[in-house]
Amino acid sequence: MTTERRPVSMEEYHAICQHYYAEAYLLQERQYREWLGTMVAEDIHLWMPVVELRFLKDKRPAPTPNDAAIFNDRFEELTQRVERLYTGQVWMEDPPSKIRYFINNVQAFDVGGGEYETRCNIFIQRHRRQQEMSQHSLGREDRLRRDGAGFRVVTRKLMLDARVIQDKNLYFFV
Amino acid sequence: MIKASELVDLENATQSRLIFWDEQVYRQEIERIFARTWQFLTHESLIPNNGDFVTAYMAEDAVIVSRQKDGTIRAFLNSCTHRGNTVCHADSGNARGFVCSYHGWVYGQDGKLADVPLEERCYHNAIDKSQLGLQQVRVESFRGFVFGCHDPEAPSLEDYLGEFAWYLDTFMIGAGGGMELLGPPMKSTLDCNWKVPTENFIGDAYHVGWTHAGALAVIGGELAGMAGNRADMPFNDMGLQFTTRHGHGFGLIDNAAAAIHSKRGGYVQFLEETRGEVRRRFGPERERLYVGHWNTSIFPNCSFLYGTNTFKVWHPRGPHQIEVWTYTLVPAAVSQEVKQEMQREAIRSFGTAGTLESDDGENMSTCTWSNRGAQTRKGRIISSMGLNHEGPHPVYPGIVGASFIGETSYRGFYRFWAEMMDAPDWDAIRKNDGDWDRVWTNRHFWDERLRAA
Repeated sequence: MTTERRPVSMEEYHAICQHYYAEAYLLQERQYREWLGTMVAEDIHLWMPVVELRFLKDKRPAPTPNDAAIFNDRFEELTQRVERLYTGQVWMEDPPSKIRYFINNVQAFDVGGGEYETRCNIFIQRHRRQQEMSQHSLGREDRLRRDGAGFRVVTRKLMLDARVIQDKNLYFFV
Repeated sequence: MIKASELVDLENATQSRLIFWDEQVYRQEIERIFARTWQFLTHESLIPNNGDFVTAYMAEDAVIVSRQKDGTIRAFLNSCTHRGNTVCHADSGNARGFVCSYHGWVYGQDGKLADVPLEERCYHNAIDKSQLGLQQVRVESFRGFVFGCHDPEAPSLEDYLGEFAWYLDTFMIGAGGGMELLGPPMKSTLDCNWKVPTENFIGDAYHVGWTHAGALAVIGGELAGMAGNRADMPFNDMGLQFTTRHGHGFGLIDNAAAAIHSKRGGYVQFLEETRGEVRRRFGPERERLYVGHWNTSIFPNCSFLYGTNTFKVWHPRGPHQIEVWTYTLVPAAVSQEVKQEMQREAIRSFGTAGTLESDDGENMSTCTWSNRGAQTRKGRIISSMGLNHEGPHPVYPGIVGASFIGETSYRGFYRFWAEMMDAPDWDAIRKNDGDWDRVWTNRHFWDERLRAA
């Protein structure tokens, strides 16, 4: 994050939190095309690195987008992920699973040029079929861009806390 | 003792459902398969320097794989010989030794016990450190791929791969540059028996057009025509299946190496630039393999898709769960940019959030968990597709099936699975080397088919 950032006003903070709740609502309601069309910038980079368990004294650099990642998507790849779910042929999601997002610890900074940097914690709970339940705890760092009354996400880094993912897949949008 | 030959009917190509569920079957697999076969540990490119290490698994046994001062690689159990504590909790790193966090016992890079705190004052020097090193595992490499084995009587890795090495050389040597793996691996758990994804990778092109219909429809490419099993696709003439002595096998889709990759310019260019040299070294039959797509398993639990370039190990966690480790397979000779392009595409399709990977998980788990039902479990499952449309081939070693949508390599996998489960030792297995493939009785299938063509 840049050093020129300043904390946002109460109004801006409110607008950003409202945006995040609206985003979670769209995704929970499986309105993926609406989400992509209204909340995602066309120059998006959405990234979830693979983070190894390393000793504290290990001085190797942290992963970059050129390393192994679980998500490393531009708009084109995200579009493909979204469109797959509208093919009517994704048997894993029929009947559909249920997902809820719990977003908190939101910090937001104005970095100028109509852009904001945010950090938050996200807890996700998914239920599938009769008894399957999975939970994921992650941190998220966004760069948001003002777009009229709302925002679009420009960069999104997702930091999953689990080393071994306790789920069949992570095919969802965060 | 389970009699595995009663669980696997080779003639009719059926298996008892117990193979995916039964605790006793699992315990026997651990003793007779995982204690005696070669299992993938890492790739030399992931531990290039003196002191580099990774932690890995051989079934449920944790191991440390460590590069020595002389460049060789050792592997040893990751459990302190004092009270059994895990010695190394990191995924990877560089270390001169490993210090147990419980009482501070120190092991060298080679796994030997180097130091015991209070040895003189409290053990009164009555401890033989030379006998208390971490238990060593046999380690051998094939074309940079590092495998471990617990059984001193097992054949060498090269003999264990056997004629499958002939196939692997097609790309593991290729035009000379060979392959490497990109890590660190993604890791996830899946509630399924370890053999379900292994058999899926070894020979299931049948599911591609149906399980992955949605993903193929949006990805496009050469395999899009398979989506929904369209009637106009020449499914019987698009590739082959192979199985070899020790159960290793694969299915080939012709001219489809990069089919699942959307951004593939660098990779396709590499294949085009090198296929001539592969043809010169290995002949046109293996050039055909080089530009095709492979779905592959190396017995018992290592699978990869050559072309899509995902590389996986299915670590068993009891009969009903696995831990999946996923790496990316890349040619060593391509640029860093092309490696990154290939890694992104491989992960996007078959990573933990992959567009195709996400289709498969449920099939894997319900093929396992349906057998929780006692009546369900009494039944059998079949792998008879293409039975007898297969046989010894004049060029390709092992047994070759005529269609890539077939179950030849399933049959080869379970043939060897039953053989290992029932064999008391490797000597008993070696006795079958001469006629291991007698179950494939259509000996002239390929002579006749090739003559007719």
